Amino acid sequence: MLKKVVPLIETVDLQKSYFSGDLETPVLHGIDFVIQEGEFVSIMGPSGSGKSTLMHILGFLDTPTSGSYLFRGEKTRVLEDDALARIRATRVSFVFQAFNLLPRTTVLENVILPLLYHPTIPASEREERAMKAIAEVGLTERTTYLTNQLSGGQQQRVAIARALVTEPDIIFADEPTGNLDSASGLQVMNVLQELHDHQGSTIVLVTHEKATAEYAARIIQLLDGRISSDSRDFKRKDAKTNTDLK
Amino acid sequence: MLLNDTIGSAASALRAHKMRSALTMLGVIIGVGSVVLMVSVGKSFQRYILDQIASFSSNLVEVYPTGFEKFGGSTDSLTEDDFRAVEKLTTVQTVAPVIFITEKTTYGSEELSPWVFGTTKNFFANYGLKLQAGRLLDDRDNSAASSVAVISSQTAEDLFGNRDPLGQRIQVGKKFYTVVGVLQSIGSPVLQDMDTPVYVPYSTARAVTGQKYLSYMTLRAVGDYELTVADITSLLRQRHSIHNPENDKDKDDFVARSAEQATEIVGQVTLGLTAFMGLIAGISLLVGGIGIMNIMLVSVTERTKEIGLRKAVGARRSDILRQFLFEAVFLTSLGGVIGILLGTALGLFLSAVAAKLLGSFTFVLSVKALFAAMMMAMGTGLVFGLYPAKKAASLSPMEAIRWD
Ligand SMILES: Nc1ncnc2c1ncn2[C@@H]1O[C@H](COP(=O)(O)OP(=O)(O)O)[C@@H](O)[C@H]1O
Ligand SMILES: [Mg+2]
Repeated sequence: MLKKVVPLIETVDLQKSYFSGDLETPVLHGIDFVIQEGEFVSIMGPSGSGKSTLMHILGFLDTPTSGSYLFRGEKTRVLEDDALARIRATRVSFVFQAFNLLPRTTVLENVILPLLYHPTIPASEREERAMKAIAEVGLTERTTYLTNQLSGGQQQRVAIARALVTEPDIIFADEPTGNLDSASGLQVMNVLQELHDHQGSTIVLVTHEKATAEYAARIIQLLDGRISSDSRDFKRKDAKTNTDLK
Repeated sequence: MLLNDTIGSAASALRAHKMRSALTMLGVIIGVGSVVLMVSVGKSFQRYILDQIASFSSNLVEVYPTGFEKFGGSTDSLTEDDFRAVEKLTTVQTVAPVIFITEKTTYGSEELSPWVFGTTKNFFANYGLKLQAGRLLDDRDNSAASSVAVISSQTAEDLFGNRDPLGQRIQVGKKFYTVVGVLQSIGSPVLQDMDTPVYVPYSTARAVTGQKYLSYMTLRAVGDYELTVADITSLLRQRHSIHNPENDKDKDDFVARSAEQATEIVGQVTLGLTAFMGLIAGISLLVGGIGIMNIMLVSVTERTKEIGLRKAVGARRSDILRQFLFEAVFLTSLGGVIGILLGTALGLFLSAVAAKLLGSFTFVLSVKALFAAMMMAMGTGLVFGLYPAKKAASLSPMEAIRWD
């Protein structure tokens, strides 16, 4: 039973600065944490605390200035452009605050998009996988709709389906409810919780609201580019039974 | 990423931005359309002129003094004896001598300046001129140096209007001639000048002008005109004591040339014109290409988010580059096809109009021009799409996602 588990994500003294000319703006000042496979973690902090910056590094969209980031125990700093693209295609997925769907394009096409860049999933399986992901977010009847014909909550669920379709190791959601009313937001949180609870998906939820963060099982709090607390010691909210938002 | 997927992504992006796609294509449509139109119209017109010339000129050979076409050349080199010697050649059918009378033609108060040919009946046969009324010049007219004239249709109309010209007396210079024949119209707008000359007997013209030399002579070759031209050339060199084994045209005092050779010259001139029009149209295609680059650069900026998203879900640089290049080439190719259709349609329409005006006019579609225009269109897409595509491919997913 004492098998040593390699964590999915491990950061050691992760630092990030933005440079414009000679001017250095430090944003992350040494981040250390571990995320295991199957966890549902919130990264919470006030606006400007560096949450998105951290998420982009963890999601292979950006690279740290110093420190190390290990993914499944492997160092990631030296990766080439194409290798990074391959990881983004197969290992990680994103859900953005602004949905970032392709305009004037159908739900199905949007969900299939990541599969176009997937190196191993054959083209013949795409539609079936996409339909399955769309079903998981409850939008089967909207498959042929254009994305601009959907409500905000539905659009974000399309984005979640798009994140699911490649069966990634981890899903990053950056303020996924930020552009939604509370009822739609609740639906989105419900989808994320179900993914975690029933499919065992690993999810990192970035938010500035404590109320949203509490749908996760663990909250890492960020303040001015440092971790100020890391806690599992709270009562997890359940989106399905939650009534105070409805 | 599979080629199919590149095509699919490009197609769906183009579909999502129909207006921009249409605008991008517009430059190419106009460019390719004008290349096709210009070259086709040029070719059709060339064909038309050549057909017109060929209709009367096969086997026709003309012999004239060098001064006829070259300043400073001799105008007094062809004698009547030359004419008779040429007439005896076995490679020559019907020869007609010509002496021009360079004086005005009048009837009553009407005054015209048509070419006045002093010639023989062979002339009409050689050029295929047909009679509408009366008779042609005959041998008796020449032996008697009679004062008769055959006039062309346009001149008949200009001098006499609706009246019957036959039997009327026209004046050329000081001398009066009785009109004995009127010719049919050639019926060709490009050869309208052939409907104006006045023809009088050769002997009469010689007497009136006092000219000992021929203005030129015209003949039909027996069989291959090149052989006839060679025969005439060696005969006349011998008679004029011109030693010219190196066949240097500048040494001769005469030129013997078939009308078909003249046709080649016309062909070259109109070919040059066609090439020039094609060049202008090509420049408009280039301008279209710059337009494409412009719109594509704007499109890259506009689509920063889309590009970033594609990268975030796993697109490589090369995937984005290929997609944008493909979009550009697809748009220019489609623009090329539309341009070809429009250019051809417009060419057909103009030909129909030309056919109404000119009697007969055949539309010649230049397959070479179509092919070249299509290649140019696709090349335009490739060349002018490359820079924007590179720009798109090098966008970082970060910039793209933060963009708002
Ligand atoms: N590309 C960038 N260039 C310069 N500064 C940036 C850039 N991205 C973010 N920042 C700065 O880094 C800080 C953290 O930003 P961010 O990670 O977006 O915070 P959060 O997501 O917690 O609101 C902010 O002060 C922001 O202005
Ligand atoms: Mg943020």
